[in-house]
Amino acid sequence: MKKICILFRSAPHGTTKGREALDFALLSASFEQEVSLVFVDEGVLHLLKDQQPELIGGKDYLAALKALPLYDIESVFACKQSLGDYGLSHSLLSIPVTILNDEAISAHLKAVDEVLVF
Amino acid sequence: MSKFIIQVNGPAYGTSASVNALRFTQASLQSGHEIVCVFFYQDGVYNSTDFNLPASDEYDVVKGWKQLAAEHQVSLVNCVSAALRRGIVSQQEAQENGLNHWNVEHSFIMGGLGELVTGIESADRLICF
Repeated sequence: MKKICILFRSAPHGTTKGREALDFALLSASFEQEVSLVFVDEGVLHLLKDQQPELIGGKDYLAALKALPLYDIESVFACKQSLGDYGLSHSLLSIPVTILNDEAISAHLKAVDEVLVF
Repeated sequence: MSKFIIQVNGPAYGTSASVNALRFTQASLQSGHEIVCVFFYQDGVYNSTDFNLPASDEYDVVKGWKQLAAEHQVSLVNCVSAALRRGIVSQQEAQENGLNHWNVEHSFIMGGLGELVTGIESADRLICF
């Protein structure tokens, strides 16, 4: 088992990065790896609730975020600075996340075996 | 010596990701490191199409990957779902889905994301491009 951290840096919908990151996260967890997710920069926009990607021809992959506990993905972190940059507070987020500052994110990235950036 | 698994997320043309990945893989092998496999994900699956036809004075990175695979017995694995979404189709999938054409020959094999995860587990280090 390895500690795999998946870093979401890109906004949802405009590219497929976020969707393919989440696919990989769920698959890794189902292979019993210790998976953590970190949302930073534009990636924090994944967490905004009530999105309707079908209206722009997208797939509602964000709904799968609600299934993270079913996959035993408990470590879900968001960058405090990035949330602030986009004006996002807890009440606007679709799932519970732990908000970390830069130092704590940096420490987490050092503590895992592999980091995949999407 | 280390065991590496290489992930390629960039296409054959348009970004330098694939060429950088190929150079890194070649250098790793020359230095005696082991490559578990090269896994093509996201737009990286565009590296496996036979329908890339760069001009004769341009570098053909797809050819480079095929040569590397043949010379060093490194397996080149496409994420099948990422590939099919992007029109990257092997002969077997073309037949199964009633398509008249296919564009991936046997140098690249279609696999699942599970191969990436098990590869990561067996490797010392994952390197993404």
